[in-house]
Amino acid sequence: MYTIGILQLTQNLDDAVHGFKAELTEHGIHAEFHYLNADGNIDQLAKLANQLAEKEVDLIFACSTPAAAAAVKLTQDIPVVFTPVFDPIGANLVLSMTEPGGKATGVAGMVKAEDKLNFINRLLPAIKKIGMLYHTEDSNAIVEVANFRKLNNPKVQFIEIPIKEAENLSNLPDILPHDLDALFLPIGKIIEDNFATIVYYTDTLEIPVIASHAPNISDGALAGLVANHYQLGKDCAVKAMQILKGASPSQIPVDTVKTPEIWLNQFTADNLGISFAEDLKEEATEVFE
Amino acid sequence: MLLTRDSVELLAPVGTWDVLEAAIEAGANAVYLGGKRFNMRMFKTTANFDDATLGKAIEYAHRHNVALHVTVNNLISDRELDNMRSYLKLLDELKPDALIVQDLSILQLAREMNLSVPLHASIMMNTHNEHAVRALQGYGISRVVVNREMSLSQLSLLKERTGIEVEYFIHGDMCISHSGQCVQSGVVFGQSSNRGRCLKPCRWPYQLVDAATGLPIDDQAPGPYKLAMKDMCLYMKLPELIQAGVSSFKIEGRMRTADFVSGIVKTYRKAIDRYIADPMGYTPDLQDWENLQNTRSRDFSTCYALGNPGAAAIGYSGKREPRFFSQAVREADMATLAKRSLPNPTNKLFAPALSVRVADLASLIAACQNGANTIYIGGEVAKPGIPWTLQTMVQAVEEAGKYGAKVIITTPRITMERECGELEQFFSSLAKINPHGLMVGNLGALTLAQQHTALPLQAEFSFNVFNHVAAQLLKNKNVKKATISLEATYEQIMQLVENSPLPLEFIVHGSLPAMITDHSIPEAVLTNQYQSDYDPALDTTRYALLDTAGQQHPIMVDQYGRSNLLFAKDLCLLPHLHSLRTVQNYRIEGQYYTPELVGLITKIYREELDKIAAEQSTYHFDESQLEKIAAASPRELGIGTFRYRLSK
Repeated sequence: MYTIGILQLTQNLDDAVHGFKAELTEHGIHAEFHYLNADGNIDQLAKLANQLAEKEVDLIFACSTPAAAAAVKLTQDIPVVFTPVFDPIGANLVLSMTEPGGKATGVAGMVKAEDKLNFINRLLPAIKKIGMLYHTEDSNAIVEVANFRKLNNPKVQFIEIPIKEAENLSNLPDILPHDLDALFLPIGKIIEDNFATIVYYTDTLEIPVIASHAPNISDGALAGLVANHYQLGKDCAVKAMQILKGASPSQIPVDTVKTPEIWLNQFTADNLGISFAEDLKEEATEVFE
Repeated sequence: MLLTRDSVELLAPVGTWDVLEAAIEAGANAVYLGGKRFNMRMFKTTANFDDATLGKAIEYAHRHNVALHVTVNNLISDRELDNMRSYLKLLDELKPDALIVQDLSILQLAREMNLSVPLHASIMMNTHNEHAVRALQGYGISRVVVNREMSLSQLSLLKERTGIEVEYFIHGDMCISHSGQCVQSGVVFGQSSNRGRCLKPCRWPYQLVDAATGLPIDDQAPGPYKLAMKDMCLYMKLPELIQAGVSSFKIEGRMRTADFVSGIVKTYRKAIDRYIADPMGYTPDLQDWENLQNTRSRDFSTCYALGNPGAAAIGYSGKREPRFFSQAVREADMATLAKRSLPNPTNKLFAPALSVRVADLASLIAACQNGANTIYIGGEVAKPGIPWTLQTMVQAVEEAGKYGAKVIITTPRITMERECGELEQFFSSLAKINPHGLMVGNLGALTLAQQHTALPLQAEFSFNVFNHVAAQLLKNKNVKKATISLEATYEQIMQLVENSPLPLEFIVHGSLPAMITDHSIPEAVLTNQYQSDYDPALDTTRYALLDTAGQQHPIMVDQYGRSNLLFAKDLCLLPHLHSLRTVQNYRIEGQYYTPELVGLITKIYREELDKIAAEQSTYHFDESQLEKIAAASPRELGIGTFRYRLSK
């Protein structure tokens, strides 16, 4: 019987927890789980991580970058499996993706930039100019934007639209270049949280939005290629089982999202007069009406 | 009466199964949760209970001797009624301990369907006076979640006079607006707070400005979050709560985690039990209080429990705001809809009736001279304007009579105890005025009016009529006309009008309130200490809140000290009247306009409505009519909910 701690920043990632538990159960692993959630208070995470350490857990499953950071900082030698941490190296959780080198490993949740670009090309084949709206203070957004800069794509031109603070979104029509074919939203909390404001304006301007945060798609983005959190949890469970059987996390490579899902919003498409390719619709995991 | 452990119900919020277990484990006497349908917490797909799990949850709670209340607390549209009927049928079979309801239609459906499950009035019903409670009791409501603006002493009296069970929010996230009376999210974003989709415009930063000059007012408050209500916490006031006769202590937070809910429930459980066991020797547990403080999201306030808190209940700095759902947006303007044309209904046509609400006699005359059929007077009046006196009302009826127009007297949307007394007193004077009818602002005022007058009664938009069954209920209560909800979109209006057994009125033009707060916003900001020395400038200056999109939202402080926060743009549906042809009654909200402007707008709407009735299929809208109104209006014009196909 193992004891496993689960450290959450918010409930947002509970799907990952469910996937994690389901995969363990499927492999006949019985564990006692201690689930702690900071309810959004980042400051609480260190204290909660300590509480898990006091329970002498065999392993901590940490959801979100701050939760993983708090678990890794513990003085006790407790292995950490994390997701959907977007930049495990940048967040100092691992030394490299192939050889983490420390007490943590996991599955990064950022869908690869080239996969997203391919998806955008399939979604809107005629697209030439796409805006990339991001918050300059968001470390995840910075990583993703950097990944897009590295892409070699002669077909689509990405125009970066940085905003310094959330209130700037109030003036989005003045900030957006007038000749955009679409707006892409990299991962990033401020942008995701204030999605209603963004789509309010892009609706009026008839600019389709491609989101990275799954809930934004049901709320009015045209589409997105997103990680399935449940699957991330399952993939993390596989690594957890290796660790519980004696492997060292330092040697277990960090994976990235293998099979991202296509989510489409038909209602938005109708409003914008856009039709989805049939094969895209067939492949889609979610189509919101 | 002696207290026992059953005297007080500790009612915990539940969004998922693990929270259900945790809340019960922590000592809740009752829990409330919602299904996947018709529920106020609709943002998270992972939360709430599907039909099968609802049944299991009820069984689980009952096995632990815990009551379970299901929230069915949305406004519903006509197209959702069938689904609602089948949901109610299911819930009646599952037998939770109560349904917490908002929409008037559910009271009607419960009666028609002979439901056996008890009904509780949701806080969204905005129940704040004994007369409303009596009306609700007539529909079998056994408990009300009273308005948060009610103080403990007010709710003691309410309970004593009506015998109703009182549920009161004691902990958690609060709205700044009177419940069920905030339409900003619904109108601007098409995501209604009354339908569980609030995007929290009250959490936006605003600057207080002089409405006339647009210049910022010297602002002593520490930050720009002028409407950001602190979280409710009555832990330190537990004895007052219990002795006030609150039956159920309600904790807010159906999207919260098991740990969070468990912690709060345990803390209050312990305190309630200790108090009941030894009230004379009771003191709050300071360690528990500190724990509450340490795990809080926002700062705490006792809100209205001990009286109007003014600035003390606002977290001006915004520092502790857990999450922003939206940033200010420029409200939809006249051009927004141009790309999408509305259909032309072919149903039978009426001779269109035009009503105009005015603030003074000069405006009344201007409206009458330009073709208004009905004039609304009375109700809330924005300072520095003065309320309608009996004398001016008598004159109003006399003046309107010269033009063959009717005068209907309106009553305020909110009528707390004192105002109910004033209303009763006023109703006894109606014979002197001899108006053609009354338009009431809430269920309590309706009940009072029925007791005191035989005048025809109308229901104001504050009744949130969103479907035809709600209209049927009002008709059964002998109401003669109702106003369509401010949040309904074109398609919803058309369906409602087509099905309604009661004549409905639709507001097509004017300055509309987005929310109503029980405190004066300028007074709270400028004097910081609310109700300190009287500052005459507060009564003579008009203020507005400036949002980050650069728009001004006028603050109309009324004679009761409440703030009616208006939309930044005035509604104007003049170009769409043709598509609204099946509506019989149209209204202009002109109480914040000059007499000249009231005259001009009335004239233009009268002309267009008459043209549509006469020309029908050949009618063509003349853009110059719109230009005339736009040129004379104090604010930009906008199309409100007509931006959206459907309100979510």
